[in-house]
Amino acid sequence: MRLHNLMKLAIGAVLAVGLGGITDARAEYPEKPITLILPLGAGGSHDRNARVFTSVIPDILGQPIIVKLMPGASGQTGTSAAAKAKADGYTLIFSHNYFDQLQKHVKKLPYDTDKAFVAVGSLNSGEFSVIVHADSQLKTWQDLVKFAKANPGKLKFAHSGNWGATHSPALQLFTEAGIADKIVMVPYKGGGPSMRGFLAREADFTFQFISTIKAQGPKVRVLISAGTKSEFKGTPTFKDLGYTADIGKMYRIILAPRGIPADRLAKLQGALIKLQGHKTYKRLIKAIGEKLEYINGPEYEKIRPMQSAAYKKMIDGLKMKK
Amino acid sequence: MFESFLGGFAILFNPETVVMTFVLMSTGLFLGMFVGALPGFTTLMALAILLPISFFIHPLLGIPFLLGVYKGGIYGGSIPAILVSMPGTGAAVATTFDGPALTKKGEARKALEIALFSSVTGDLTSDLITIALIGPIAAVALLLGPPELAAILMMALIVIAGTSSGVFVKGLLMLAVGLFLGMIGQDPIGALSRFSFGITEIEAGIPILPMLIGLFALPEIFVAIEKKATEIIDAASVKISGARLSWLEFKGCLRTIFRSTAIGTSIGMIPGVGQVVAAFMGYAAAKSASKTPEKFGKGELEGIAAAEAANNAVNGPTLVPLLTLGIPGDNLTVILVGAFIAHGLRPGPQLMEEQGPLVFAILIAMVLANILFIFIGYICIPLFAKVVTIRKSLLLPLTLVFAFAGTWVFRSNPYDLAILVIFGALGYMAKKLQFDVTPLAMGFILGQPLEYAFGQTVILSSGNLVSYIFLERPITAAIIVLTPLITYLMWRRSMRLRRQFGAEE
Repeated sequence: MRLHNLMKLAIGAVLAVGLGGITDARAEYPEKPITLILPLGAGGSHDRNARVFTSVIPDILGQPIIVKLMPGASGQTGTSAAAKAKADGYTLIFSHNYFDQLQKHVKKLPYDTDKAFVAVGSLNSGEFSVIVHADSQLKTWQDLVKFAKANPGKLKFAHSGNWGATHSPALQLFTEAGIADKIVMVPYKGGGPSMRGFLAREADFTFQFISTIKAQGPKVRVLISAGTKSEFKGTPTFKDLGYTADIGKMYRIILAPRGIPADRLAKLQGALIKLQGHKTYKRLIKAIGEKLEYINGPEYEKIRPMQSAAYKKMIDGLKMKK
Repeated sequence: MFESFLGGFAILFNPETVVMTFVLMSTGLFLGMFVGALPGFTTLMALAILLPISFFIHPLLGIPFLLGVYKGGIYGGSIPAILVSMPGTGAAVATTFDGPALTKKGEARKALEIALFSSVTGDLTSDLITIALIGPIAAVALLLGPPELAAILMMALIVIAGTSSGVFVKGLLMLAVGLFLGMIGQDPIGALSRFSFGITEIEAGIPILPMLIGLFALPEIFVAIEKKATEIIDAASVKISGARLSWLEFKGCLRTIFRSTAIGTSIGMIPGVGQVVAAFMGYAAAKSASKTPEKFGKGELEGIAAAEAANNAVNGPTLVPLLTLGIPGDNLTVILVGAFIAHGLRPGPQLMEEQGPLVFAILIAMVLANILFIFIGYICIPLFAKVVTIRKSLLLPLTLVFAFAGTWVFRSNPYDLAILVIFGALGYMAKKLQFDVTPLAMGFILGQPLEYAFGQTVILSSGNLVSYIFLERPITAAIIVLTPLITYLMWRRSMRLRRQFGAEE
């Protein structure tokens, strides 16, 4: 039965992508499918999370949410399309805090994310940890900082691409630890290749998702980890060592064009809150190794300016050194 | 290891699930071929949309289903490439070099058959290699890093340049243009904008699918419109049953198929390179090894065989880094990660130890999928081949619609349509001036990973490039030393061939 429904949904999604929606905005919202723009490519963790929650949400919202992939130009292609979309609640975007608050400090963007979007909510977050090889002489994060300060340019760090989801938090962490100019940053094309580079010992350490690290077992050692409580025994969190607690947390956020009618925004937020108690959703989200940690829009709106300020400080610091 | 392998058989042939496994795998193959054949719908999109299905069913049903879509999609892309010169997926680009020419000769069916048999042979062989050598392949994946990749790509480009047929300077020029086009946008290392003139839409580079559809499909349509409809394909000569592949012809391609399989398998072992590059390298190698390189690009069966065997041969080995090291080899395998972890299976070294039999069951299913692949593909070919019997006055506008619609569904970005038209015009001009666009596509596709890998190598070397390569990366050093030697041998060979057959041209 389940499978049958999903097939229909999949076929429906193909058709909807192909044909586009037909507009009529009289009856109660939502009375046609909602489009969720992903400014990222297929197969990443955003895509995976989107597939999970959109496969359950029709039960609550009464209408499907259709994922539309618009990758390219570090998220700018999808984000600018969403920024230009009508603020009628039928176009949303599934983004993350680095596209939302960091990018504007390093690039000239054709939109202003603060003016263009309001947060519906943060679905959950991807958390990163710093890992070294199990046989590394660096036993703790403090060891690493000390070594880097004494040997500038000796340690190599593998990340998933410039200003991407592991490059940005790593720079933030290195800046706070005072080693941003002492580390060689080696870019790889995505999280997978950066892990290969690390395992092949081309790089000494890397940032990875906690779930990816768990699959590696005893080959790697975790030095420091995101979150309020460490997932790895005997390992401190960023907060424990006095760093900004948000480092290494990639919030997967749902944004709507800012002019969205208040009742529609409330309806979406209501649906997302209800989603957290949905049995199938709970099972699936656990299965893909994520957590239920929904942050509702108004609360998340408070975090946005804080993120922006922290990123700006970090970028300014990096510019000064150059 | 061997115990796990036998355990895999037991799991796969569990009487309760085995029928469903094969039914779903066949469905996946058919869906994959269908989606792959639709221009603009990539295999990646199909997998992403179908992924949730695997959340709700047993991993031994869901994962083979997705693998079916994956394999079918890579082959499916070759169907429009052969019939209307429009690559259905990126992996099929190299198939547009020879496929359409065969279609024009009324040999569409033969071309589709060689594509299918090469795909399956490449896929099957590489899957068997994967199972037999799963441990060593994992080790190789770690040995081949950015420096090795850069050296291999450099060698491929030099070989392509040195052995191009036709007017040498023209080929070289197009290759250079392709390399240049590949540099437009942000540079991969420092994210500095180059030649984009502030146009945000090409900051991330020229999108490949619209460009290639424009370059290959649009000129064909324009040229066809120019001539009288009847001259393009003599409808009477293309009977649906006509011109099938003979055993002799297939045997003639076997060398090429196995060479391409070897190339595809090696490319598949390196995470993050993928089918497109493999198809190009397979094609280039076949051309430089051929006794009649001048026939390539004009409807050479071996050309299709080379590209199709190479791109499908990538499929098996890309799974190895995923299953053994937890590193997904390409975007397609990233999606498979989702299917695995939804069932609490985390691909990585732990998985192999704890769930060895299950991993092997999936790999065995992958091998058996190839048998289904042959049947399903063979049944569908007459169906697809019928496309060429559609009247030109209907087919041409339809192809044009597909070119634009395909570009649109790719990312729903209006600028992609502009790219399509610009490259359509460029391709048409090139055709009129008798410039071959193949080297341009090769330069564009191979140049980008080369630049990235070279940049990474420079960073990794901390500024001492020479000592880094010769002291720490012996494989890279070996490839660099061999490059001029191989190029010289290839060049001498092509010169000798040219002298021998030169009079005929």
